Formats: sequence, C-alpha cells, structure tokens
Amino acid sequence: MKASQRKALKDDNPFVDVAAYLFLEDIADKQGASGMNNYLVSLATSLANSMPAEEYDTWDQFVDSLQKGESIITTFETIIMATSNCVVTTECPFEKGWQEYTKRIGSFSKIHYEVAEYYNATVKPGASDSQCIIHQTFRKAAAERIKVGGKVLRYAQVAAVSPGSNKTVAPDEWLPILLAKSGISHTMLNMILRNNACVWILYTE
Amino acid sequence: MLDVALVSLIQDMSEKAGVEGTIQYWARVGESLAKRMGKEAYMGWPSFNVALREGRTAFSIEGDVSALTDLAITDVDGDVVGYIYALKVCVFDPTIDRIRYSVGSLPSADRAVAEEYNNSVRNTAVCNFCVIHQRFREEVAKNIVIADQPLDCLQLANRGYTGETKIAEDSLRRISIDPEYVRSLLRNYACVYAILMKGARLRGEEAE
Repeated sequence: MKASQRKALKDDNPFVDVAAYLFLEDIADKQGASGMNNYLVSLATSLANSMPAEEYDTWDQFVDSLQKGESIITTFETIIMATSNCVVTTECPFEKGWQEYTKRIGSFSKIHYEVAEYYNATVKPGASDSQCIIHQTFRKAAAERIKVGGKVLRYAQVAAVSPGSNKTVAPDEWLPILLAKSGISHTMLNMILRNNACVWILYTE
Repeated sequence: MLDVALVSLIQDMSEKAGVEGTIQYWARVGESLAKRMGKEAYMGWPSFNVALREGRTAFSIEGDVSALTDLAITDVDGDVVGYIYALKVCVFDPTIDRIRYSVGSLPSADRAVAEEYNNSVRNTAVCNFCVIHQRFREEVAKNIVIADQPLDCLQLANRGYTGETKIAEDSLRRISIDPEYVRSLLRNYACVYAILMKGARLRGEEAE
C-alpha cells in the first residue's frame, strides 16, 4: 500500500490533535515561549531522528519518492513540485487539528503566535505559528537523514500560510537567493500561495 | 503529523521528567481540555443520548460513541440513573497506525507511562493515551447536568491495539454489571464507560 493511500485511510482523531495543542500550552504556561520553543524543536527533531535514513542514487529517484509520499520528509503532507527543487505543500498537515481546536475550544491561543515570534527572532525567520516550528524543524532534521547521489539533502523555507491565514515569507534579503534556488519568480510564489499552504526548497551542495 | 510528533514528545518528556511527570502533564491536559469545552445541560437522559448520537456533547470529541440504552443503570428504587456508553474506535488508533507506518514502532515510553499509571493511579490503562482521555471524561462529566443533576463517569473496560484488555471490576460491581458481559462488548468496541448521576444510591453499593 502506498503512503498516500495509507494517509487517506485514516484521519487524526480530533481528541488527540486538540490534546496535543493543550499539552503544548501547558508547557508554555510553566516555561513561557522560550520553553515551548525548546520543546517544539526537540519533539520535531526526535521525530525525524526516529525515522529511517534514506539514500537515493539520483535526484529524479528522490523526487519520485517525494511525490509519492514515500520519503520521510513528505510522509505527513501532500506535495506538488513547482520545479525540480521547489516543493509546494498543498494543505498544511496541521490544518485539521487547528480546525478542530477552533471548532471545539475557541480562538487559537495567542501563545502559538508568540512562540513563532520567538522562533523567528532567535532561530530562523519563517514561522507563522507553533505548527510551523514543528514542521520546519522536522523538515530540516529529516533532510539531514537523506542522501541523494552521496550528498546530504539541504532544506530551506521560502513561505508559509498558516491555517489561521497568517502569511510568512522569507526576509527580503534572503528571498532573491531562495527564489533563484527554487527556480520560481516572486510573482509565481504569490500565485502559488493563493491556493497552497507552504513553499520550500530542497537541494544538495 | 501533530499526533505522531506528540508521541515523540512523550518519549522525550519521559526521559527528562520521568514517566510520573508525563502522567501529571497528561492529567492536567485532560482537565484543561474538559474545562475549556464548557458546560452543558440536558432535560433528561433521552435528550443527552440524542445529543451524544448527534455529536453535540463534549464526549463526542472522542469519536463514534454509542449509548447502550439496553444497559440502563438503576438505583435502589429502580430509577434509571445512568447508562453504559461505548467508543467504537480508540482515539489513539489512527495515531498508532501512522506511527507504525512512518516511524516503525511505538516508543518505549508508551508502555512505561501506561504501566506506571496502572501501578500508581488505577489499573485501567492499555497505552499512555488512556491517562488523558479517562481523566478527560471524568472532568467532562462534572461539567454536564441532566435534569439539574451533576454527573459522574466510571471507566469500565478497554482494549488496546495489541488486544490487551482492562476490566475495572470494582466499578462494574458498583453498577451491578457482569464483567463477562462487558468483556463481550470489547469484541465490538474499544472502550466502555458509564455515565451516571453523581451521588446516586446504586444497588451494587447497597449490597456491599
């Protein structure tokens, strides 16, 4: 059974998703945004490290695995390739959990946005909320477990639109370099972001 | 993805704070989730059972819950003071499947947290997630009134993904239900619990 079929078979249980958010909020109550950030980074890294490492002979083989959702880096999301290096996540994998939270609990707690500000200021700009921290950290750690043509995979975040509609694009000074690596124009980036959740790039050096 | 990441956090947290710390965190989250879902009031058991069937109560967040209306709980006067409810699929089941496909196996903390809970709190957990949702139900029951009466929730039986079962015989004795009958319910359901009027004078308690 293919990964994409498996993903379609079973949705997250809303209880588990909402509990996970409250679990993180409980940590933040005691340790603030910096403590929550540490936990988010730690859990995403340990998740990636618990998954099997991968190696591919060619970039084409790797991209095929990415698109089928068979690579660890796209296990949790559905993607399309805008170019051979530019990956587009069509729907944020956290969207359903966020919707369950807002439906059953109310407005998303502001700590999820405050921790993103902390992350953007201290780690790397690019997160819209706590979910982006998990996702982007996971991608970085997962990329480090993948080799293509003998070289370690590199990941960089270009832009994200959170389930709450906050758009976060890489800083102006980084954007031209990232767009050049991705092979898309600024206009194309904005077009992609109208209908998709996240734009990121993968490459080797 | 969040659910799978959460399981990594449980492992991480259990290594740092010990499994007792994880149990405390989970219990607090169960309480907090129930409190934040708010209060509910129903005219009587039929209206509560309809709300449950239509997914309108806080209990419904767990998924497909059936009210086993043939299993009414009665007090010493023969009045109905509660019912038995059964959850079709364990809330943790989809997460466990995804972990097995994406990671390979559940982290050892899952078992360790459940065992610690069974030893130190009560012997009703088949996996780490039982800690939160059993607590969640107890707290939700406190936030619901039926005919102006507050409720209580009793965990009765559950079946884990490996087939392991837990039967809470003390609770079953209180409501005069045969443990073997509840065991047979586990063929079709993952988790069985009772919701009843708080402070009801139960026949099982009178017998003791």
